[in-house]
Amino acid sequence: MSTIKVDTVRPVTADASLTLQGDSGGSGVTGITIDSSGNATLAGTGNNIGTVTAGTLGSSVNIKASINASGSAAIYACRAWVNFNGTGTVAIRESGNVSSITDNGAGDYTVNFATAMPDANYSSPTCSDATNFSQIASVATRSKSTTSIQINTAVVVGVPGSSAKTLFDIEEVNVAIFR
Amino acid sequence: MNSRIVYRTEDGGVAVIVPAPECPLSLEEIAQKDVPTDRPYKIVNVSEIPSDRTFRGAWTIDEAELTDGVGA
Repeated sequence: MSTIKVDTVRPVTADASLTLQGDSGGSGVTGITIDSSGNATLAGTGNNIGTVTAGTLGSSVNIKASINASGSAAIYACRAWVNFNGTGTVAIRESGNVSSITDNGAGDYTVNFATAMPDANYSSPTCSDATNFSQIASVATRSKSTTSIQINTAVVVGVPGSSAKTLFDIEEVNVAIFR
Repeated sequence: MNSRIVYRTEDGGVAVIVPAPECPLSLEEIAQKDVPTDRPYKIVNVSEIPSDRTFRGAWTIDEAELTDGVGA
């Protein structure tokens, strides 16, 4: 095994492509091809990701198969999410692309995004935990912006004297943002 | 994360910011970003925040104590 250390590798002729090969029985087998525009194609039968152009994966990349998504429907990723405890010492259990939550008062919270959304037209499904069905809660969106979403929680069933119109702290609140 | 960021709301109540443990931003960066613009705030230990929320709407804080910065 030897090592070559260089800063740049280019083809010997102008406007040509560059290939990196493996060896199979003494024959070269192309693994990576970089064309004259700098687009890289990763070959091979095991993990062929096609041509990568300006940071975009090629059309032969089968992302859906990798995440077990069948059918032809498009995939839209979750852009932010959080699971937090809204009772006692309010705390975030886990989150993604969330910088913080603001406890505004009983049953009143704001989820602040670490990186802003492109606009406020995102979908924001919410839910609360009802493991023992002792509390069935309503989680509602109150206001939305590119940087945060304010939500209110209220118990519908399970707490004597409460009503859906009374904001109430919930033990597990989940918010996800799709755009 | 054992810190919280507190500030006074427009109606004189208290808002408590809970930083996300996974967020790569520093506590100060979160405060600057998530506290409303020009609103003074203070960073406190979570132990200073009451865990009894029975009278959450009655919480108050002296604005003179909010000396750690203002929202950007």
